[in-house]
Amino acid sequence: MTGTTPPAIACQHVWQVFGPNARKALDAALQRTGGDARAAAAQLREQGLIPAVQDATFEVGKGELFVIMGLSGSGKSTIIRCISQLLDATAGEIALDGENIVGASKQRLTQLRREKMGMVFQHFGLFPHMTVAENVAYPLRVQGVAKARRRERAQEVISLVGLEGREDAFPRELSGGQRQRVGIARSLAVNPDIWFLDEPFSALDPLIRRQLQDEFLKIQANLKKSIVFITHDIAEALKLADRIAIMRDGRIVQIGTPADIVLRPADDYVREFSRDVAKGAHARVRSVMRPVSDLPPGPDDPGLRPDMTLDEALAHCMELYQPVPVHDDSGAVIGAVNPVDLAAALQVESE
Amino acid sequence: MTTAADVLPSRLGLTPGTRAALVVLLTGALCLALEPVLPWLVKWPDAWTLPATQWVDTVTRWILGWLKPLARAFADLMRYPMDWANLALNATPWPVTIGLITALGWYLGGLRMAALGFLGLSFVLASGYWSESMNTLALVAVSVPLALIVGGAIGLLANEFPRLKPPVQAVLDVMQTVPTFAYLTPLLVLFGFGPVVGLIASAIYAAPPMARNVILGLERVESEIKEAAVMSGAGRLQQLFQVEVPSAASQIMVGVNQCLMAALSMVIIAAVIGGFNDIGWEVLLTMRKAQFGQSLLAGLVIVVFAVVIDRMSGALAIERRRHDPRVVYGVLALAAVLTALFWSRLPDPAEFTLLAPVAEAVDTGLGEFTAANGDWLAGVKNGAMFYVLLPLRIGLDQAVLPFTWGFAWTPGMSWAVFAAGAALCLILIWRGRVTAGLMVLIGAGMLETGIADLPWPFVLVGAAALGRIAGGWRLSLLAVGLMLTILLSGLWDRAMLSLYLSGVSVVACAVVGGFFGLWSAVSPMAWRIVQPICDMLQTIPLFVFLIPVLMFFQIGEFSAFLAICAYAVVPMIRYTRHGLVSTPPELMEAAIASGATGWQIMRDVRAPYAAPTILLGLNQTILYAFAMLVIAALIGTTGLGQSIYLALGKADVGLGISAGAAMAILAFLADRMVQGFAEERRRALGL
Ligand SMILES: Nc1ncnc2c1ncn2[C@@H]1O[C@H](COP(=O)(O)OP(=O)(O)OP(=O)(O)O)[C@@H](O)[C@H]1O
Ligand SMILES: [Mg+2]
Repeated sequence: MTGTTPPAIACQHVWQVFGPNARKALDAALQRTGGDARAAAAQLREQGLIPAVQDATFEVGKGELFVIMGLSGSGKSTIIRCISQLLDATAGEIALDGENIVGASKQRLTQLRREKMGMVFQHFGLFPHMTVAENVAYPLRVQGVAKARRRERAQEVISLVGLEGREDAFPRELSGGQRQRVGIARSLAVNPDIWFLDEPFSALDPLIRRQLQDEFLKIQANLKKSIVFITHDIAEALKLADRIAIMRDGRIVQIGTPADIVLRPADDYVREFSRDVAKGAHARVRSVMRPVSDLPPGPDDPGLRPDMTLDEALAHCMELYQPVPVHDDSGAVIGAVNPVDLAAALQVESE
Repeated sequence: MTTAADVLPSRLGLTPGTRAALVVLLTGALCLALEPVLPWLVKWPDAWTLPATQWVDTVTRWILGWLKPLARAFADLMRYPMDWANLALNATPWPVTIGLITALGWYLGGLRMAALGFLGLSFVLASGYWSESMNTLALVAVSVPLALIVGGAIGLLANEFPRLKPPVQAVLDVMQTVPTFAYLTPLLVLFGFGPVVGLIASAIYAAPPMARNVILGLERVESEIKEAAVMSGAGRLQQLFQVEVPSAASQIMVGVNQCLMAALSMVIIAAVIGGFNDIGWEVLLTMRKAQFGQSLLAGLVIVVFAVVIDRMSGALAIERRRHDPRVVYGVLALAAVLTALFWSRLPDPAEFTLLAPVAEAVDTGLGEFTAANGDWLAGVKNGAMFYVLLPLRIGLDQAVLPFTWGFAWTPGMSWAVFAAGAALCLILIWRGRVTAGLMVLIGAGMLETGIADLPWPFVLVGAAALGRIAGGWRLSLLAVGLMLTILLSGLWDRAMLSLYLSGVSVVACAVVGGFFGLWSAVSPMAWRIVQPICDMLQTIPLFVFLIPVLMFFQIGEFSAFLAICAYAVVPMIRYTRHGLVSTPPELMEAAIASGATGWQIMRDVRAPYAAPTILLGLNQTILYAFAMLVIAALIGTTGLGQSIYLALGKADVGLGISAGAAMAILAFLADRMVQGFAEERRRALGL
């Protein structure tokens, strides 16, 4: 995210309000409340409208894996439907690679979808009358790509998701996990830069889910796409995310790295989410590290690194009470950590 | 009266139902009491009616006059495909036709369908009605594509432009209630005599089910599937035809199936206008000549076609798997080879009289049977007529005659009926069932007066009350407004006659169908027997029902009643059973755990839970009864059906349309009210 290249996705003050005359009602409500989003949303609710997304502002950098998390009905699906323009946002600006797409022409949107965007659906959204290969090749078919080329590319992505041999099966003949792989393969067929995944793994049982998560991370390590990934599973979010946005009733209540979310929850709602997570396994030493000038390290050096998890770090300094140094890869001391802080960081939730 | 009816009960804290019943009761009592002084209260004077029929006639003739050149041009245009279809079907050697249908059967449904196709068409061949059947098929073959295109286009447009959906749905709803014969008269004027009328009528009649199913199918495509198409970068037309329509295929195929069946049914009904040597005409002709053996044979040919078409197109909707095409080629090749080999010796299908002896045997057998059992049959018929139908129609006071009942009705007896009703009413009220008590009293009054002779204010207030309870004030006002139109148009008496016959049939269907539905619900064995019968009855085109009842009971109201019941009972059976067997198992388990016996569970859990479904079945039964009522006019009913049929014979557009509209109004109101009750029940159950 340097200053010169624009972010992959930039949303500013995006609203999605369901109900009759939503746009007018939103304008009026914002006028009355002087632009206070929460008050305006409350007013809209009173009028019987549904403010499913309220004043959402965030950016997703190129190659970043951005996770949106929240309870059922908090507006996660709605927000990516706005970004992908499946829904016309009621208000706000949405830019992809710096190009404003709100109010873009139909042709332009179709072109963007053919070239830049891929989407995986919560309930798969597979075409029941097409085989696996035809499903996967459909985005190419609508562009008029020749049949042989289509088949070839479909074959590539099908092997990427590990479904070789099932090309000619129909969706109804596949298991849930296999169906979702088809959905993933289809969304990758045109090799999009921006990839939306709406709870891709939540319909699956835990074992398959873990397996697909690992494969997903592997795929992402190779492809380096800009990703918006939706989940309501905190463990999944912490495992995958570069950054996490937490939504509640249409509002984004916190955006931060996994460690931020675990160690510095913005409110009780967020704290509630991370209650059951083993924090030590997600937060890194970096998040409790302080400059050497503030905290001169003592004589002991257990060899801490900034990207160690808190659990690991704690294991290294079980017997220590003095501040200890943290080294970077070259071995230089870049900061210090107080073992007491390490323990305290893991205690946040019990207070 | 308002004070008495509104203030008093509301002060007593009565439910709306009770209040409505009370108002209706008071109106009825008032009418009866005032009858000697104000006879117009009971019978609407002819002088007060408007010449609505003539107005309708003038207006429609004017409109039709404008449309005529266009219509005639269209008719001329349609003559080509019809002639081609006729030629193609009649010129194709019959072994090839049989081979084609058998091969198609194989392709769609394997051995069973192939056998069905082969045996069915062989039967048609053996019956000697081959060319008549081909003429009928030719009409179907042209009208169905027309209906599919029109219906499909309407469905697609309604889907593309959501604004169009409510009006389109409303028109489709209304078209469902307009009786079949009523289409024919204006079409006759528009297109002139000839098969084109049958063609257009069947296309008009068959298009709505297609449109409905297309709309429903497209609506039901999962939104994520539609969105996946959008995100794949598909244009609107690509989305529609590559994703949405194929995803909705099964529902659309259900539409195709219904469209085919409707077209066939209507083509056969349209035979009454004649001019086309088809199988429906054959049935009519033989029926009029009382050659019931032949008539039955021709009717069976129609049934065979209906079954073959229904099962094969049904297979389209259910099965995705298609069978080995090599067998198809084999069968076709075999048929072609046979034809070529025996070309010179291939008998003309009209010469097949294999089944003629059977027809004759049926005739003589029937003759002997009626001769031997005539007394018994007449006894059934007269018993039903004199002791049930007639009293319901004209009331006990006129139906009880020394000649039939053995004594004459006296005013004292009327008082006795009222007193008995009042006593029962009081008992019910005393047991806390006020509404039921009032209904008993209303029933007693109706029994004494007769449905066809009910005072018009009573009927109007009754309709208003039912509308109010079923669907609120709007339905109530609508009911009164529409009924008033019938009253003013001078069709009231006939409408009441139709109401009586359909009402009696519906009650009979409700009792009989309810019983069989219940029985099938508790005994899977019974269902195994009842289900195929229901399937069969539902496949048979309306027209064919007339043959067997005529064979045994001759022309008359009782025959019409039986035909209506035979056709309309099916939905009642199906829905009752379906409602009863789909009680959630948790509810049943909870009842069993509370120690309820089988019948207690049925009464306290399953029946209430099934009530909305059963009401929907009743609704279907009512619509079926109205549809059949018009057809039954062919074998002797009075009322609107007869008017519509007569209007067709005289090409009297005004009468045809007005009577058709009156019939549609009755069906529409009945539909809305029962739907309203069903909806209310569903809400009460929190479904
Ligand atoms: N088309 C619509 N019309 C009206 N309300 C809608 C529509 N789509 C979504 N909503 C409402 O918007 C809110 C947010 O829905 P959304 O589907 O975005 O939730 P979600 O966070 O994705 O939930 P889940 O985890 O269950 O998928 C819900 O209250 C939902 O009822
Ligand atoms: Mg969602």
